[in-house]
Amino acid sequence: MLTETPVTQNSKSSPSIRARIQAGGGFLTNMVLPNIGAFIAWGILTALFIPTGWIPNETLGSMVGPSITYLLPLLLAITGGKMVAGQRGAVMGAIGAMGLIVGSDIPMFLGAMIIGPLGGLLIKKFDRLIENKIPAGFEMVINNFSIGILGFLLMLVSFSFIGPVIESANQFVTSAIEALVATGFLPLLSLINEPAKVLFLNNVIDQGIYYPLGMQQTLEAGKSIYFTVASNPGPGLGLLLAFTFFGKKVSRRTAPGAIIIHFFGGIHELYFPYVLMKPLTILGMIAGGMSGIATIQLFGAGLVAGPSPGSIFAYLALTPNGSFTGIILGVIVATIVSFIVTSIILKLDKKPEVEEELTNSIEKSKAMKSEGKNILNSSEDVSNQSSGVEKISFACDAGAGSSAMGATTFRKKLQKENINGIEVKHYRIEDVPKDSDIIVVHKNLLDRTKMSFADKKIISIENYIGDPKLEDLINELKG
Amino acid sequence: MLSKHLESNVVFSKRVSSWEEAIKVASEPLLNKDFINQSYVRDMIENVHKYGPYIVIMPGVAMPHARNEGGVIKTGISFLKLDTPVLFPEEKEVGIVIVLAAEDSSGHMDLLSDLSSLLIEEDIKYKLENAQSEEEIINLIKMVE
Repeated sequence: MLTETPVTQNSKSSPSIRARIQAGGGFLTNMVLPNIGAFIAWGILTALFIPTGWIPNETLGSMVGPSITYLLPLLLAITGGKMVAGQRGAVMGAIGAMGLIVGSDIPMFLGAMIIGPLGGLLIKKFDRLIENKIPAGFEMVINNFSIGILGFLLMLVSFSFIGPVIESANQFVTSAIEALVATGFLPLLSLINEPAKVLFLNNVIDQGIYYPLGMQQTLEAGKSIYFTVASNPGPGLGLLLAFTFFGKKVSRRTAPGAIIIHFFGGIHELYFPYVLMKPLTILGMIAGGMSGIATIQLFGAGLVAGPSPGSIFAYLALTPNGSFTGIILGVIVATIVSFIVTSIILKLDKKPEVEEELTNSIEKSKAMKSEGKNILNSSEDVSNQSSGVEKISFACDAGAGSSAMGATTFRKKLQKENINGIEVKHYRIEDVPKDSDIIVVHKNLLDRTKMSFADKKIISIENYIGDPKLEDLINELKG
Repeated sequence: MLSKHLESNVVFSKRVSSWEEAIKVASEPLLNKDFINQSYVRDMIENVHKYGPYIVIMPGVAMPHARNEGGVIKTGISFLKLDTPVLFPEEKEVGIVIVLAAEDSSGHMDLLSDLSSLLIEEDIKYKLENAQSEEEIINLIKMVE
């Protein structure tokens, strides 16, 4: 114990605040990432089948709207609710999101990401409140009706709340853009455009403000820059490229696919989830958007009509002679700037990402401390997991009853099968030795065990005696 | 060992109203002999509320117990057999309730070992479930001890 190095101690105890901030960021990421696949499916569908898509098809295209209105927000809300309160939270999240979805006329991504966890939290608090107070036999009824009634209320609240919110957001965006246009310094528009796009207010600004302005200008000058201010595919491309090179895990692997759908298909929604999981990257989008507008303005370039969808092909098709340099450079510069800024953000963010693992190791070191184990022994010997099982630990709350019963029964079975050299003991959950090869615990206690022993092989059983999983284990040990 | 501990600690009951009731009835012999006090009974029930019915160690058999936080005065064990099984949470039917009171975490190991030998044998478990008297149960235990 004396040789325990203070260095590891410090590095493990200090990041608590950073780790907590990181936990918030990780939360968003975890809510979005599992659902990227659905975004991609929707993106492909949209790029192909909408009227301006590659192979327009009215029948198949009819899935586009409902998918982005219902499927994607619901998935986000379900994942968010589930992360807070398991399956019950997921149900609550979905119910709450439904109020938002129907109550608004734009896809409710951000709203779903708020209402999902909120619904989860609500049911979690309620469950805590009535814990131990349910008369026996009424658990099912109460569990279902608590979700039913609370969900019903949440639905009403979110439904009546969201309409006014969206309306005032629209009004704010519209008047802000009008004020900015009045200044004549167009790059500033990105300050509003980029956040508004991610919040699905892009149609409001594009079709409500920029296209009318653009058409007016086109009548006089034959082209307009207003068609490009919010539809430039460059910033999104830069962002996705940055994720491709510097993103983590799944986000890194999915970004290239998203690029194709975004840049060539013009479905900008594909980059939204990446911004939503690392909100700071909106800075990269703004910087990219600004530099794109500045470049196009510098060259006096413009498009002849609103590019929809905003793909590079639509851009080139709508570029009048003489504007090609400006438009192409505008896209390229926007891409590069957004790539650089986003990369820096992702790079800076990397440290906390490592801390995700660090947080785990804090948990681990806590567990070790509580059992008074030497930290120096912490070199995980994952090596002998499948082959040489030497220590099986049965765990329960008291560490004296059911776990002991399970352990002694299991020892007898091993004896009967003539399997030697395996230590089978029973412990309180928090006292389970770090070097156990396998931890056996009742399924009701699994979550608690996982918290302390995330990296261990844990077998969860229903019965301490004669559980089929224990029979399987015996057979495994025999072989 | 086990048979000695169970002497005059076996209760038969036709039916009980709830699993909480079952734990209370099963605890009575130990309470009467001052092996445990009321707080231990509360703890055992609380445990199930908190962690679910993990004390149902195999189908039909519950072994309520808790950490000894002053509620256990002396290590002991008692046995309740119900004619009509009672439902524990998660719809688990239980006909045998074995209250385990352990003073510390080691002194009762041989009791558990005997108990395990008893329950591990299907036919003995079956006989336990159909026993009509304490004598019958004690004799069964003596067979495996």
